[in-house]
Amino acid sequence: MATTVTKTEPIVGKGVRRKEDPRLITGTATYVDDIEMPGMRYAAILRSPHAAAKILRIETSAAAAHPGVVAVFTGDDTRDVGPVPCAASLPGLRAPEHKVLATDRVYYVGHPVAVVVAADRYVAQDALDLIEVEYEPQPAVADPEKALEPGAPAVHPEWPDNRAFTYQHEGGDAAKAFAEADVVVKQRIVSQRLIPTAMETRGVVAAWDAGMRTLTLHSSTQIPHLMRSLVAAMVGMPENRLRVVTPEVGGGFGSKLNVYAEEALLAWISMRIGKPVKWIESRRENYQATIHGRGHVDYYELAARKDGTILGLKAKIIQDCGAYHQLLTPAIPTLSLLMAPGIYRFRNVSAEIIGVFTNCVPTDAYRGAGRPEATHCIERMVDLLAAELKMDPAEIRLKNFPGPDEFPFETGTGLSYDSGDYAAPLKKAMEIAGYEGLREEQRRARNEGRFLGIGISTYGEICALGPSSALPAGGWESATVRVEPSGKVTVATGTSPHGQGEETSFAQIVADELGVDLDDVEVIHGDTGIVQYGIGTFGSRTLAVGGTAIHYACQDLKTKIKQWGAMLLESDDVRFEGGACVCNKTGKSVPLAEIAAAAYRALKLPPGAEPGLVATRFWEPSNFTFPFGAHIAVTEVDPETGQVEIKRYVAVDDCGRIINPLLVAGQIHGGVAQGLGQALYEEAVYDENGQLVTGELMDYAVPKATMVPHIESSHTETPSPVNPLGVKGVGEAGTIGCSPAVVNSVVDALSPLGVKHIDMPLTPEKLWRLIAKGGQA
Amino acid sequence: MRITGSARIAAAAPEQIFRLLLDPAVLSKCLPGCEGLERTGEDEYRMRMKAVIGAVSGAFDGTVRLSDQKAPQSFRMAVEGSGRIGFVKGEGLLKLAGQDGGTEIAYDGEVQVGGMIASVGQRLLDATARMIIRRFFTRLSEEAGQ
Repeated sequence: MATTVTKTEPIVGKGVRRKEDPRLITGTATYVDDIEMPGMRYAAILRSPHAAAKILRIETSAAAAHPGVVAVFTGDDTRDVGPVPCAASLPGLRAPEHKVLATDRVYYVGHPVAVVVAADRYVAQDALDLIEVEYEPQPAVADPEKALEPGAPAVHPEWPDNRAFTYQHEGGDAAKAFAEADVVVKQRIVSQRLIPTAMETRGVVAAWDAGMRTLTLHSSTQIPHLMRSLVAAMVGMPENRLRVVTPEVGGGFGSKLNVYAEEALLAWISMRIGKPVKWIESRRENYQATIHGRGHVDYYELAARKDGTILGLKAKIIQDCGAYHQLLTPAIPTLSLLMAPGIYRFRNVSAEIIGVFTNCVPTDAYRGAGRPEATHCIERMVDLLAAELKMDPAEIRLKNFPGPDEFPFETGTGLSYDSGDYAAPLKKAMEIAGYEGLREEQRRARNEGRFLGIGISTYGEICALGPSSALPAGGWESATVRVEPSGKVTVATGTSPHGQGEETSFAQIVADELGVDLDDVEVIHGDTGIVQYGIGTFGSRTLAVGGTAIHYACQDLKTKIKQWGAMLLESDDVRFEGGACVCNKTGKSVPLAEIAAAAYRALKLPPGAEPGLVATRFWEPSNFTFPFGAHIAVTEVDPETGQVEIKRYVAVDDCGRIINPLLVAGQIHGGVAQGLGQALYEEAVYDENGQLVTGELMDYAVPKATMVPHIESSHTETPSPVNPLGVKGVGEAGTIGCSPAVVNSVVDALSPLGVKHIDMPLTPEKLWRLIAKGGQA
Repeated sequence: MRITGSARIAAAAPEQIFRLLLDPAVLSKCLPGCEGLERTGEDEYRMRMKAVIGAVSGAFDGTVRLSDQKAPQSFRMAVEGSGRIGFVKGEGLLKLAGQDGGTEIAYDGEVQVGGMIASVGQRLLDATARMIIRRFFTRLSEEAGQ
């Protein structure tokens, strides 16, 4: 798909290979753990083995006396650091004080209790064993529904009902819709806890410069600027003396859209001991102490007429928050509520979220963040309704979509869907899959006693997060585009791409706008010392919000370029085209490099102009964007083993205008792999005492490459009116579309046994038992 | 985790087995990985034990408490230990019954583990516990035969 392009033809829309790949695939990229500094010390963190306990005593003297140990700190030392921030606010939100190290109690397995700083990493780790902590274990609760039962152990003794918050929404008239309905389907649906499992775990290097009185914090994060603001406040230093640098990030998926205790802790330690300090999270720590995703138990009811017209929805969303709120914990299920009606026309919605404390690590954003849960539920409900009415699942969907002329479409949850043609990707996916033929094949298979299923999901999602009024910390984005004196172009983006490929897509946009070669555009990001303030990379926002800021900076820059071009061409009628200013009268032209040289040399200035060729834009979007699509999964379940085989996987996604089809394909493939993980394999399991049973990759099944099927990927392109690029975002689409398609398919396969619903993950054991019992759960 | 089962020791009557089970010197010899067992009080012992569970190994320091002793038929045992790899907490009832000149020992207890052994070793815990118990009774049987 890669194309070589000269600057005479537009490069936007071409599948050019990623500019970032050579360093990544040759091992020359720099990650946090690659950073070494003179005099560097290494930190290791002692974590609670108990889900709930009082700390009676911590004895650190043996660890402190261990050869090579520089310092040992406990919660008593760090009382002035923090607290770990939660940026989300909801009416009546209960937010426990989240200290960087536990003081009198621990609330989950993995809770940081003490930190050892030593001359090397192994010494630090060994010395952890010498710290004695006397715990008095307390009853713990790990299951969110059990936590809501009267008499359940209180996670935070001050809130014995374990309710972190409740949030209600009424749109339209759900009561009336249900009263008028011919049919109501109800289902309890679990979106299990997942562990994000970024290939690179978290890591921090903090370096205090005593002379300059500045602190540089290297962290594997998605939000360097927000981290600077928040960590500066946590350690009580002026923000302008803290620099956050994000080197290469080996996967985030939302788990690094956060500010963790360790970031402030390392910053504080470096200032305290006057040396650079490094901490690299182990995989076991990553599983215990980095946020988890999902953790929903949802109760849905869907009301419809007997012709299949959906009238209304009631939803009760129980969100397992874990023991604390991390940066956005309470905000994630609000996205589920907003997305609860899916992409269907009905507007009567009655929904409630109950946030619940449990003795588990907090949940927060994980690829899709609230939207996969919502999509999974509504797509399961629509299939349940289709089964109840004996309608085809494609037919019932097509009947309930708003038409392309109904946009902007106001939803019953208060959103305004920007643009869409929801039937288009479904019809295209059905055509690619050969839907009618598949149903025929299914009939034959069933006659042979085989379990063949066809599952559809038609999803929508909230992307390009988003208007600042709807986000906890600003939803705009920034860009500086600079033509250097040589004519080469530098772009500084406030976003923080970490694998999505925007160094390439941003360069494509700029190359077209300024008429320069792709290789002449350098995109820099992730360093608060050299990039203007920005928000970061999450919520499928980087291209749609950050790219748009770049687009507008280019427009400003072109105005300046034309001023200089007019002066050099001694004409007041010039255009900028193909990398040069052209006089409309004489046809004479001056290339960008010459214009740049003149602008920096500045021997003579155009009237009203400044020297240099730089433009900075901060762009605030007026709305989210709403990508959509249709996925079809064809599965067969082996009745002997319960194993699911994915025979076909068709994904037709509409992410608005496509800047680079190669990047879009990559996002869809990775997204589908993670959706498949949730549908079939992954589950974070805590036992009844709050012990994390799936504590490493031996017990937590992330799909391997061989477990991911060939994805037949295609697109429709409905431009977004929200931004001038017409783009919508695609980072989470694959994940959101996938799990309901797979589960709907497996339920369809087992429907001859009377199976109506199965909760994820669809492990062979679960399916085998279901089949063995003739479909009775 | 529930641990139940029974073992048969052919060569000794319940009275002798009961005595052996309460003898720290014998116990420390029979318990796989035991690196020390000393009496700290009436029916109370301090124990250090090394355990290997799959890829995880480490030492536990803990206490063993005996109660409800009804010689030679039964006693309860409570074990608590913790170490780098986590903690173990368990309580169980051991019943001894004479049978054809030997002793049938039935045990029934509940064990809770935490920390690293819970998160990385839980799936191997069952098998490990069974192995430890089997080895313990094999050695106890040898002790009884001497």
